[in-house]
Amino acid sequence: MKLTSATVHALQLPFVEAFRHSASERTFSDSVIVCLRDDAGQEGFGEGVPRPYVTGETQDVVLDHLARNLLPPLLGRDLADIDALEDADRMIPSVAISGTRSDNASRCAVELALLDLSFKRQTASLAKVLPATSSRVRYSGVITSGSHEKALATARQMRVVGFRHIKVKVGYPDDVERMTALRALFGPNVSMRVDANGAWTEHRALEVLSSLAPLNIEVAEQPLPHGDLDAWARLKSKSPIPLMADESLVTIEDARHLIDKNATDFFNLRISKNGGLARTVALARLGRAHGIRLQIGAQVGETAILSAAGRHLAAYLDGVEFVEGSYGSLLLTEDVTREQVRFGHKGEAGLLTAPGLGITVLEERLRKYATRSIEVKA
Amino acid sequence: MALRPYMEGLYQKHTDDLVGCAEFVALESGQVSRAGYDRFLENVIRTHLKSPQLLAFLFALAPPRAAERLRHNMLEELGLDQESGASHPSLLRVLATEAGLGSVLTQLEAGAAQDLKKMVEEPLLFGTLKEVGFSALVEICAFEFMLSRVAGRMARALAAHRGLSARAIEWFTHHSEVDVGHAEQGFENLDAYADYYSLAEEDARTLAGMALRDNVFIKRYFGELPLARARSLL
Repeated sequence: MKLTSATVHALQLPFVEAFRHSASERTFSDSVIVCLRDDAGQEGFGEGVPRPYVTGETQDVVLDHLARNLLPPLLGRDLADIDALEDADRMIPSVAISGTRSDNASRCAVELALLDLSFKRQTASLAKVLPATSSRVRYSGVITSGSHEKALATARQMRVVGFRHIKVKVGYPDDVERMTALRALFGPNVSMRVDANGAWTEHRALEVLSSLAPLNIEVAEQPLPHGDLDAWARLKSKSPIPLMADESLVTIEDARHLIDKNATDFFNLRISKNGGLARTVALARLGRAHGIRLQIGAQVGETAILSAAGRHLAAYLDGVEFVEGSYGSLLLTEDVTREQVRFGHKGEAGLLTAPGLGITVLEERLRKYATRSIEVKA
Repeated sequence: MALRPYMEGLYQKHTDDLVGCAEFVALESGQVSRAGYDRFLENVIRTHLKSPQLLAFLFALAPPRAAERLRHNMLEELGLDQESGASHPSLLRVLATEAGLGSVLTQLEAGAAQDLKKMVEEPLLFGTLKEVGFSALVEICAFEFMLSRVAGRMARALAAHRGLSARAIEWFTHHSEVDVGHAEQGFENLDAYADYYSLAEEDARTLAGMALRDNVFIKRYFGELPLARARSLL
């Protein structure tokens, strides 16, 4: 079967409410969706979420890169049945974009579309190459920044839902008071962690983490900005709370540097940030081989397409300690699939078993929220 | 429990946001095309066609203190109450026919059925039916509160600017009258429900806030994009 055409949609899909953290505020999703088609009329969908402060990609950059560099060489080519996860990644051309750290969000959108298309054609689930090691996935609740009262109100909602894992966005003058109030609200049996999105200095990070230690905080994500791994290593050697690399972990080279410098305890793996499923699994394997613990993160505002890929990955990787994402219509005013992919009570969700990614994307929804759509033909 | 001050504030805020949104202002002032009025009518019909089933669900969970009131509401929706006359879905069908939307009625019925199916199939966020039922009660009471205050304005706008007859807009005029009583009873039902099922006041408020995170009136009557614009999210 030949790949015949592709459509790229730049979305502006509004949130239910604004999402804030120390590095950004968002009120809508700016995902880029790729729809690939073959000559039998089968479609596959993929998604990338550009983050200028992470990979350097913007929505415009991704659109242009897909339409000029990544998709045209694929169109007209035969798509053999994929039987190893890495097959799709190998098909995607390696083309650097000047001024960016990587083109990972762009590659992710193409890789997922190839995988979805190939496995739909085989009437097989993506689980064929990512076999599940667990029957359910347990997601974390995330408390964004905002007023102290707003954080407590969100925490009460999460308590009603019954989340067992909570992440709190920090990086503000009241971090310790806020975490103390939240620990009191959740009680001792809920696992809590913090994410500073690189907002702290080395001195401030050590000060806050030392103060937070009695609150039984499991891990501090991206305490320092991306870049100075010596500072990360110093902080890791002194911090009473384990550290997690997120914005500092985009490529396999980043992972090697973090390992070489003994700069982190955890990797936060995100499929879009890390360039698709195959590259994310490679990062997980490298980390595991060096005793690094794992979280599967998500992109704020991701649609059910990335959430579905995240579900397969989380079910596949054994021993992942925390999983994020699958907020679906709890964050998006409307998701793009027929099925509801979001988690339920306690943040838990079952496996997706339908062919491909296991979802049915509604093209009319993509068109409803697309600010630009580009057709690419062979 | 005395949830009324909190709930009334929440409902009033949502109602104010509805009547203040650009689409409602245009609807009332006649600045909408015929197709725009028709989209509004279709959305109203689709939103409320399955109301009797939702009330039946609430009746099934009703605490003793609220059971008679909810039974009465349900029978009235079904047109089976002694004084109620036609069922509310039949008034919506009359509205569709009189407005010249009879050809899309089947599609609207299917859409309403699909909405209900989706609601039933969604993963539950809560551990028991008591939270699910309370959330549903919060939303139904919200519509009764809003309609008791706004349905008359909608009816006048539709008569003046869309040329609909009194018979056509009976669903609106009916709700502008009966929902005054329903809205009052709604506050009592919420308290009765929370008391009977031992919902802590803080949890009841939290559930209410979750049920009404979106402005359901703007979302259902005008759509997701107008809602996002009204909330400055786009």
